[in-house]
Amino acid sequence: MKLANKTMNIFFIAGLYLTVFLLDIVPGVPPMLLTVLKKGVIFSLVAVSMNLLNGFTGLFSLGQAGFMLMGAYSYAVINISSSLKPVVYQYYSPFFNFSLTEVLGNALGGFGVVLGVTVSMIIAGLVAAFMAFLIGLPVLKLKSDYLAIATLGFAEIVRALIQLEALAPVTNGSQLLRGFPYFRGIFIPFIIVGICIAVIVLLINSTYGRAFKAIRDDEIAAEAMGINLASHKRLAFVISSFFAGVSGALLAMYQTTVQANTFKSAMTYEILLIVVIGGIGSVSGSCIGSFLFIACSEWWLRFLDNSNNNIFGLNILRSGFRMVVFSFVIMIMVLFFRKGIMGEREISSENIVKSVKSLICRIKKGRCNER
Amino acid sequence: MNADILHLDNVTMQFGGVVAVNNLTLDVKEHEIVALIGPNGAGKTTAFNAITGVYEPTNGEISFCGKTVVRNHPQGKMKKLYAGLNADKYSGEVLKPTPDMLTKLGMARTFQNIRLWKSQTVFDNVLIAKHMLRTSNVFSATFRLNRQEEKQHREEVSELLKTVGLDDVKDDLATGLPYGKQRRLEIARALATKPKLLLLDEPAAGMNPQETNELTDFIGEIRDRFSLTVLLIEHHMNLVMDISDRIYVLDFGKLIAQGNPNEIQHNEKVIDAYLGVEKNA
Amino acid sequence: MDFFAKWFPYFLSGVSVGGQYALIAIGYTMVYGILRLINFAHGDIFMAAGIMMIYLTGVFPVWLSIVFVILLTVLLGFAVERVAYKPLRQAPRMSVMISAIGVSYLIQNTVAYLTGGLTKQYVEIGWISDVVTVMGASTKRVTLITPILTLVLVVLLVFLINHTKIGMGMRAVSKDFETSLLMGIKINRIISATFIIGSFLAAVGSVLYFTNYTGVTYTSGAMPGLKAFVAAVFGGIGSVPGAVVGAFIIGICETLLKGMGLTAFSDAFTFALLIVILVVKPTGLFGEKLTEKV
Repeated sequence: MKLANKTMNIFFIAGLYLTVFLLDIVPGVPPMLLTVLKKGVIFSLVAVSMNLLNGFTGLFSLGQAGFMLMGAYSYAVINISSSLKPVVYQYYSPFFNFSLTEVLGNALGGFGVVLGVTVSMIIAGLVAAFMAFLIGLPVLKLKSDYLAIATLGFAEIVRALIQLEALAPVTNGSQLLRGFPYFRGIFIPFIIVGICIAVIVLLINSTYGRAFKAIRDDEIAAEAMGINLASHKRLAFVISSFFAGVSGALLAMYQTTVQANTFKSAMTYEILLIVVIGGIGSVSGSCIGSFLFIACSEWWLRFLDNSNNNIFGLNILRSGFRMVVFSFVIMIMVLFFRKGIMGEREISSENIVKSVKSLICRIKKGRCNER
Repeated sequence: MNADILHLDNVTMQFGGVVAVNNLTLDVKEHEIVALIGPNGAGKTTAFNAITGVYEPTNGEISFCGKTVVRNHPQGKMKKLYAGLNADKYSGEVLKPTPDMLTKLGMARTFQNIRLWKSQTVFDNVLIAKHMLRTSNVFSATFRLNRQEEKQHREEVSELLKTVGLDDVKDDLATGLPYGKQRRLEIARALATKPKLLLLDEPAAGMNPQETNELTDFIGEIRDRFSLTVLLIEHHMNLVMDISDRIYVLDFGKLIAQGNPNEIQHNEKVIDAYLGVEKNA
Repeated sequence: MDFFAKWFPYFLSGVSVGGQYALIAIGYTMVYGILRLINFAHGDIFMAAGIMMIYLTGVFPVWLSIVFVILLTVLLGFAVERVAYKPLRQAPRMSVMISAIGVSYLIQNTVAYLTGGLTKQYVEIGWISDVVTVMGASTKRVTLITPILTLVLVVLLVFLINHTKIGMGMRAVSKDFETSLLMGIKINRIISATFIIGSFLAAVGSVLYFTNYTGVTYTSGAMPGLKAFVAAVFGGIGSVPGAVVGAFIIGICETLLKGMGLTAFSDAFTFALLIVILVVKPTGLFGEKLTEKV
């Protein structure tokens, strides 16, 4: 039975990826859908990484935008193609005179490009993780809301520092960075994010993941049972930041440009809201939440911004109304559906089959006695 | 004569102006069951917390298995209390272990107000306690290179749950258990860390007489089976008198008596502490 | 003398900025003292007060607009507490904080919608924007008014907290929420009063603050809000005098840094200060220590 479930889960995921692959190659797919999928999958990763901290380890951290920023910049600065460097670094002489992907691409061809991008993304993650390692020791001693505000402050510091004139040869000051390799379709980001989330899930289900949950449930008991709080919290923080850094690199590729000012604390709040909507403590919830959030804010509620849709001559619908409605929906979620869509449960083929069965049952008999 | 497994030397715990534990000297020998009793607010739990590293003693020294694990003698701060005593002996050293370090050395404890991991099943509650015995690092654990160890831990947990009689509820949520079983689970969780010394903080609190009797037997049983030493705090006198080899009595942070159950039962000071002394007009 | 002439104006405006931060910081510190909640929406309430002022002066004379702004801001603060925080009284602290972030998001988006996302020009308030000369430094009159008005309001507030019944209630609730409830203190009334006072001060602060700036936009509240929060933490969260002292220190440091030409670094400085304080002395200058019972 257990094995059958596992197989079914694999089929489920394979089906998902096949769909994504088909969407990528079949013409005529609405471009909005592709945008939502692309952006949604990137935010899934950062939401899951935030969930690892907030939902599974019980550390209320709001530094995600800062770590994404570090990832995005790390990816960008080592990859801007040398022909574009003088244009991008208009006012400065660039510190990095090479493009990693280009160098490897010239040496090894197509494989080199793939290798270059992969290595750069890992570097992006490592830079973020290293930063987390440095600030983790002092900051993680703080309790709940103090931790939140300290990490939020940290993200702001990073954003200010990166625009500093002294760092401009590397970061291009407050001007934007562009001219680095990026992906076109949606299949590649899905693959990368899929691998990252799989690693996170494996971690959560390992003995370390259980220790994280113990810390979340009762710190004092965890410590009394031989779990070193400082090192485990730091571990969770570093791993979460690593994946935030990777998702930052992905976001840079999605936007094709990087600018420090897009990584404001508002971004962290949005990620947090995604986590809450999906359910704090549910990985699949975070993914669903992310796609829903992006779809609502970018696509489904668009009509609310269109002043041609006004009826009765009222001038209610105009640019910005979409976000008002959207934030109302979020407030309702936060107040009345505090567990989010998934609570702490996860989607698996077994659960889907169960709920479909009970739904059919309900339709047939009016109500269902089976439990 | 067995060797000392735990030894407290002049341990003092002070919170602001309140001296919760005052110059407590106590020792627990291997394979003993020792009880720490006293009226409410006598400083028993504080002493426990000092032993397990939750609090840093204001003063004093604690050794465990012949190793000094806590030492804190800030001369100036406590000079008053030590005036005339052996104040010269102490230097300014500080040894400040965190609770997890002490647990790794072989101390495990339960809590007065049960502290189980609420969202976890009975099985996982015990399994998590095995985490500290791991040899795998985070990488090998994530990528399942530690299958052997994981399997072994799971087997040990199953075994342990059978021993303590929680086998039938192992997939239930810990908080769904009846009170007595939650206490038992907390003990099982502590046992999973393979301790030498088990510290029980009011294990019978809130239990009915029958449950208390079962617990008395249970404690004796696990002591023999796992060759443990037990230090417990308890208010149920029946349990304490039945089970303890020796008893320490605290009142207002001070040790007022020690001895075997029989001696304690007839000790004037203890009776006074519990019943109160009539003031002579 | 040269030194004095160069730095005095910065110091002066630092004191003024500090006063404005102080007025916002009190709102944070009081709410935290009572609900143990970082009211992330407070900065946005402050911003909303600025926007209201702009719209109201289109209809009413300035002095009447100020009165209305204060009333409406108080109403907004009260409503936010009733709608977004009160239903979560029994919920974990994290939920309430998330709700606060949600409110902040909602206020920002609503203002963005109303203003079309544009920066609105703040009104020129005649008398307080006049330029005056103090000890050789010319500055707006508001620079001088702010610290004085702040101190007067703080003294009044401290009097209210220490010598009135509602103040006694506030002190009791901040010491022990549950016990106060059991003792028959009308918790909801106390909490509402706290939000009303906080919003009132934020409204006053917004008039003083935005006078110095050309415009208000939907994100204008975030930065001063965060800085005021840092001030509250610096002073020891929960303590009103602490928040005021912290705000003045931060305001002065910030403007001095700007004077040194480190404008880009002045924001980072505030947050660096925050992290240093939290790590070295999490209870701040005047805060009380809390220990968890095992």
